[in-house]
Amino acid sequence: MTDLFVDSYPKQARVVRSAFLTAYIALGIGALFGVLQALHRTDILRLVESPTYYTILTGHGVFLVITFTIFFLVGLYQWAVTDSLGRGPVDMRLTWAWYGLMSSGTLLAAIAILAGFLDDPPTVLGSELSADVLFTFYAPLQANPIFYVGLVLFVVGTWLAGADWFRTWWSWKQENPDARIPLPTFMVLTTMIMWYISSIGVAVSILAFILPWSLGLTGSLNPTLTRTLFWYFGHPVVYFWLLPAYLLWYTVLPKLSGGRLFSDPLARVVFILFILLSTPVGIHHQYLDPGISDGFKFIVMTNTMFLLLPSFLTAFTVVASMEHGARQRGGDGYFNWLQALPWRDPAFTGMSLAGVVFAFGGFTGIVNAGMNINYLVHNSLWVPGHIHTQVGTAVALTFMAGSYWLVPQLTGNRLVGRDVALVQVVLWFVGIVFMTNSMYRGGLIGIPRRSAEPQYDFDYEIAVGSIPEIRAQLAIGGVLLFVSAMLFLVLILLTAFNDDSEPIVDGTIPPALSGPEDSPRVLDDLRVWIAIALVLVAIAYAFPLANIVSRGGLFGPDIGPFPVVVETVASVLSTTDTGMYLEALVETES
Amino acid sequence: MDDTTAAREIDHDEFDPYGTLALIVLYFVVLTLMWVFTYFVEFLGNAPTPMIVL
Amino acid sequence: MRTSPAKLLILIAILLVIVVELRTVLAFFDVELTVLQGIAVGIVGIALLLVWAFSPLFSESDQ
Ligand code: HEM
Ligand SMILES: [Cu+2]
Repeated sequence: MTDLFVDSYPKQARVVRSAFLTAYIALGIGALFGVLQALHRTDILRLVESPTYYTILTGHGVFLVITFTIFFLVGLYQWAVTDSLGRGPVDMRLTWAWYGLMSSGTLLAAIAILAGFLDDPPTVLGSELSADVLFTFYAPLQANPIFYVGLVLFVVGTWLAGADWFRTWWSWKQENPDARIPLPTFMVLTTMIMWYISSIGVAVSILAFILPWSLGLTGSLNPTLTRTLFWYFGHPVVYFWLLPAYLLWYTVLPKLSGGRLFSDPLARVVFILFILLSTPVGIHHQYLDPGISDGFKFIVMTNTMFLLLPSFLTAFTVVASMEHGARQRGGDGYFNWLQALPWRDPAFTGMSLAGVVFAFGGFTGIVNAGMNINYLVHNSLWVPGHIHTQVGTAVALTFMAGSYWLVPQLTGNRLVGRDVALVQVVLWFVGIVFMTNSMYRGGLIGIPRRSAEPQYDFDYEIAVGSIPEIRAQLAIGGVLLFVSAMLFLVLILLTAFNDDSEPIVDGTIPPALSGPEDSPRVLDDLRVWIAIALVLVAIAYAFPLANIVSRGGLFGPDIGPFPVVVETVASVLSTTDTGMYLEALVETES
Repeated sequence: MDDTTAAREIDHDEFDPYGTLALIVLYFVVLTLMWVFTYFVEFLGNAPTPMIVL
Repeated sequence: MRTSPAKLLILIAILLVIVVELRTVLAFFDVELTVLQGIAVGIVGIALLLVWAFSPLFSESDQ
């Protein structure tokens, strides 16, 4: 057994632990909000007034898909770079600086969001402190400037983190001029390239348009433009969540299976494909947006279908590596080898179940990506179904499972409750299937997402089961997930305090069956891939953006902020009945 | 039961992942069935979009 | 025991998943199970799994 990470790199282990701690806190709050939503939507338990539902929903989205995922990412990547290069950062002050920036940004955004719970929120920077804008913050929904400032600090923090890793790699390269980039570091660097290219979109959107608008410096903006810039970043961000999970699947999972990675070159190709293809597809989230012509949408649909390729390559490589482990452990046959895998290990089982859910959730992604079928599911409950199978499980469950393997190495403590941990990951698997199955079915019959009270005067035309049954299933699934998340946090907490114990974990990662020497060196020439990626982005976005700006103007046709409308609608609804309100709406529309 | 002990070493040339092949074939069969299912949901299962008549 | 507790747990989880998804699939073929029937299928399935796992007929050492 080799030295633990915490013994070899105590300073770096501290950074990783801090990042994970922030991630886990976000997971706890997010899971609490999740179960509140599940119970509220299904009218089982309504602890808050329905307008406050949007405070909770914003918190759920931001804390889980921004804070939890990305803090876990920076922790994991700090571990991966340090471990695979065998050295720490050039200057730890930079490392703590990015951690500090990300944390203070998160804190600001969290304050703005949570202020939504106050009856009488204070006025800050000229407007009420609140940010009920959901994690997509589409204009004309408007949050307090503090929220956007927080987001900007957070993103700048991630940029510095990337710079830190590039710098570490650069000085490693001076000492090892002829060596190939070790695979984990390669994955970190390629992910960050993708992130730099894509997060420019959201940075421009916030800094040039939304923040000045929320500060009252500019009177208006062009919502189609800011939405398009958001989704320019919004699709790559899903790979920013996913690639750390891929890193664990490619490096740790084969080892846990008792084998070795099948092919190092294939893994490199997959990550390069993500640099190239993940950005020029964002408009596939805007199939229903007016103001972007169908031709552009069609091109984007084609790109999106190409993007399936790296995921299929991953399925093959990862499963083959697991099979290698199973056969080394004595497994046999076409399917029997599955029995030889170490199912008792929560880290292994959690990651594998996450992969299974991902494979089937991927199918619902193909549905979303098809322009025509998208019309069927757009903005319906189907979409949160998809979200929870993908980032909510493929990523979140992999992170939890990975924690069971990593946290002992980061703390020097033995994992508490290994068997409970196994129950925890299995519980998540069952819970997610209950919840997402009901979301998919509900979405297909038109139940909307992002809705506190999806009960209406008409009946849904339901094909299978009944509405109360779909609701009950959603609520049961939500509760199982919540229980599972809490179990996870308790186990990690106990492990963190399990001081006088020796971890039983071996942190070494065996070399791949087919190593980097089997691949052309150009794979490691990152400049080539950056250049091609930029060309593809220009091709995909130059015309749509020019089109949007030439029609709507950079600052749009006099669009003011929108939060006031909540009150208007509420008062309209309370004075008249829903039917009459709809009637009025239909008349003005036609 | 330890999880990492290998009963035997298998190197690159001896390893043919036909179990992986079997799983992938199974997966593609399921995907195809799901597409067929989607076809019915999308094109044959729906009446024309209802109009709200008030 | 015919299998390990860990594998049994996972088999039960997969069975539950199949029951949940199968109801949707069966309805497509006009076989509509009610919730209670669904639960019943689940319980019978789990019972069968347990019998299979613990039946002395197959007893075999762990792993
Ligand atoms: C305790 C477990 C969880 C429960 C019970 C839960 C429940 C829900 C529900 C019911 C919704 C739909 C709300 C609506 O559209 O009205 C939702 C939305 C969402 N969830 Fe979760 N969730 C959980 C965990 C997660 C995790 C782990 C992630 C990601 C890492 C996640 C990400 C999201 C996102 C991005 C949305 C969409 C938010 C939006 O529409 O703005 N959830 N969740
Ligand atoms: Cu996307």
